[in-house]
Amino acid sequence: MVPANGDEQTGRKTRSPEACSNPYLRCAFNGAALTALGVSHSALLAHSPQGCEYLVNAAFAAQECDYMETMTLCTKLCVDEIVHGGEDILARTIREVKELPIAALFVISACGPEIVGDDIAAVCESLQPEMKFRLVPIASPGFRGSQYDGIDIALDTILKTLADGGVKKVPGSICLIAPHANANPTWPADLAWVKQVLMQMNIPVVSTLTYRTPLSDIINSASAETCLVLSHDAGQKAADYFSATYGLDQVCKGIPLPIGMTNTQRWLSALGERFDTLKAADEMVAEGERMVTTTCRRKWPMARFLYRTPAAIVADATIGIPLVRFVTEEMEMTPRFIALYSGNRSVRDLLDGELKSLGLATKIEYGTDVYKTRQGLQEIVPRVVFGSTIERHAADGLGIPYVVEVVKMMRQFRMINREYFGYTGILNLFEAVQNEWTMAWRSKEKRYRAKW
Amino acid sequence: METDSIVFHGNLQQLLEKVETGEMVPKLQASHAPMCKFFTAYYVISGIRHVVPLVHGPTGCPLYMSDFVRTRECCEIRGVPLEPTACTTLDESNVIYGGEGKLLDAVKEAYAKYHPDLIVILSCCCSGIIGDDVESIAREAEKQVGCRVLALKSEGFGGDFRSGYEDAFKLIMELMEPPKTTMKGTINILGARWGPSPTEFNWDLDEIERLLSAIGIKVNAVIAGGCTVEQIRHAREVELNASWCYDWGQKLGDLIQQRFGVPYSRTGQPYGPEATREWLLGVATPLGMEKEASAVIERETREVEPDLAYLRQALSGKTAIIEISEFPGPIRALSLARMAEEFGAHPVVINVHPYTIKERMPSIKYILETGINPEIILTKGLFKLGSFRSSKETEDELEAIVRGYDNPIFFGNSGRFPPCPVVNLTLMNPAFQPQYGYKGIRNIAALVRQALEYKDLPRSRLFKGMLYGAGKR
Repeated sequence: MVPANGDEQTGRKTRSPEACSNPYLRCAFNGAALTALGVSHSALLAHSPQGCEYLVNAAFAAQECDYMETMTLCTKLCVDEIVHGGEDILARTIREVKELPIAALFVISACGPEIVGDDIAAVCESLQPEMKFRLVPIASPGFRGSQYDGIDIALDTILKTLADGGVKKVPGSICLIAPHANANPTWPADLAWVKQVLMQMNIPVVSTLTYRTPLSDIINSASAETCLVLSHDAGQKAADYFSATYGLDQVCKGIPLPIGMTNTQRWLSALGERFDTLKAADEMVAEGERMVTTTCRRKWPMARFLYRTPAAIVADATIGIPLVRFVTEEMEMTPRFIALYSGNRSVRDLLDGELKSLGLATKIEYGTDVYKTRQGLQEIVPRVVFGSTIERHAADGLGIPYVVEVVKMMRQFRMINREYFGYTGILNLFEAVQNEWTMAWRSKEKRYRAKW
Repeated sequence: METDSIVFHGNLQQLLEKVETGEMVPKLQASHAPMCKFFTAYYVISGIRHVVPLVHGPTGCPLYMSDFVRTRECCEIRGVPLEPTACTTLDESNVIYGGEGKLLDAVKEAYAKYHPDLIVILSCCCSGIIGDDVESIAREAEKQVGCRVLALKSEGFGGDFRSGYEDAFKLIMELMEPPKTTMKGTINILGARWGPSPTEFNWDLDEIERLLSAIGIKVNAVIAGGCTVEQIRHAREVELNASWCYDWGQKLGDLIQQRFGVPYSRTGQPYGPEATREWLLGVATPLGMEKEASAVIERETREVEPDLAYLRQALSGKTAIIEISEFPGPIRALSLARMAEEFGAHPVVINVHPYTIKERMPSIKYILETGINPEIILTKGLFKLGSFRSSKETEDELEAIVRGYDNPIFFGNSGRFPPCPVVNLTLMNPAFQPQYGYKGIRNIAALVRQALEYKDLPRSRLFKGMLYGAGKR
């Protein structure tokens, strides 16, 4: 195992030692917007120049917001506000929208107003008595870090501002954290699978932070007995806060998320043990494995032909780390290069553990950027890359026959959300391989034209 | 026709006057956010091949552009190679202590990694506010790498979206070297962006180039729609500059004319036979190729005569309601108005946003000078807070306006459901591109034909519900 760069000492997730990077991740402002837009019956006001609104739009799409229900607004700061301060225009804008029928207005500040010192918390506090809805200021300028840092900043602010510590505990309940820090482009399906599993185990979910989450659920989130982080990239700080402040016990900590048969079995068993529903978990595992096996017997996945084919995984840690075992065990390929968007201490520990357990010596790039990914692919020349549209194009000319797009797809071609978690998730991943397998066979150059 | 929902009803000249006096500029701070200066500057710079746009800022600013422009638009849709988007990834420490040293290192790294022909440093809000001197760093860095290094102060707060385009075009002029020769019968096409393949609606540009080629006119560079640094270096050697769209080429054309003496052909967009003829003669005449151009115009016109006859017959006496408020843009709407009038229709342009009038003032004035002054209607929905409420209200208002006119036909996109034939002029449907030139006449005739022949077919309840909510039938 050869970690190629390092930010483990600082704990910052995505810092590159290079001065010039070609990043995969968006900034903290985007991460905060992504989190706030997961709260239903709310609106988001970007205290920023108008360009930052496009980062909000990206978050809006990722959280599957409906423009009939959720409004995004912007103070559209110009030179005047940078020179003289933008607090007045922020106050004016909040007053413009005071009649909106919402439960909360999240006010998120970008780089400009944070550098010039606009005090969005003071503006919100002074205007709160005039408003029918809650004002929630979140200072998350882009320079505070990556989108994962922004998710952590927003969760921290939201919990400290809104969560009520005095609520009564709900026995055997759970709070789900950071389902949106997941590079599956249709990640809500992963969340839906988790919720379905919890329902089958009779484990009540008191709050999801955040996806279509009512404000009341956030207020009541401390009533959960446990919490479950659904990302390896963000959300751990919120779990630590819950644990330290409200005594929530974190379940499935240090276990890769449930992608592939072994990971799913391990993850379900950990849940079963914690909630004393091991029998239900075992039944789910047995039924799930039977379903996947019989489906494969009927559909014949082409992935079986890729035995020990050298593979690369380029993804976030949430998808990338569980994929390592799935690719190695269930698909019988050999991961030779792993490039993860993030690289904090817990990500490194988790991946190290997986590689040791599997006996793999793999080139690793933590906190990768597009340049480093291409360099790694050029050096290793894997035959299959599990990655994104970016790798499809960045690998151009490197002689890599298969690029299976599983994360960060630039074309939104899925109308139905597809999970990677759980047993249907295995089939969804097989399907992605299947389609790429077919495309790789197709001639890139037509040799002749038909006569008709 | 006066209803409560109409906030302006007059002509383009009158609207311009209201915008100029500040009477017709929307005051609602929270609504309608077009791109910032940084974005539009990036669009232009990315239209040069083998360029590294080096964003001096945090990762949020470049990522939208690298995902949307470079990967999706360029690689996925146009099939060009993935080009880098470099970033200094400014953090809190850089914001406090300054990022100039990091920027200098980044330029050197960018050169070593990507071997570009050009590096353009683009400053963002962060680097602009903390006062990093990107221009000095560019000069210093250029001594240490093997390519030109330019800097553009493109802070998002520093200007409107138009200023980003214009400042980037101005910067590109720095690359233009004194002419060593004159390229006879050769022009540059100005005002393109979104490279590195030809500009955003490349079918239109293809049609222009096809017609120029038929006349015998060569194109040195499409600036900046996939041009090379080498082509830009030789840009002053052409005999004439022209624009694919008056609005985007005008500033650069005027500047090159003033500074370097290369004449600029002022022509509108080639929509319809007359504007196409004007465009081609506007380029060919200064080059002394009027005769060749006239022959091409005559031949091409003859070939589309059945389509022209159809358009005259189909549109004569009709009211052409034209709504292209956001996409593909107000200048196209005004070009379409001219074309509709040419075919005997009475054009009524609705909901050209006053913001776009303000930002396109020189182009609007030019259009008025050429005698185009259509009837304009602006409705309340245009100024409504929020995208859904705005679009739903403008849809309701459009339907009401259409009912007030005799024999209406709607030119816009199929996201509208007025009670009249709909000519779907979206540029998102590649089946009917280009819209410029003679091929454009054929396509527009086909679109008008299907609008009229199938006007009684049911519209999609599904799409209408999606756009405007349930209950709108």
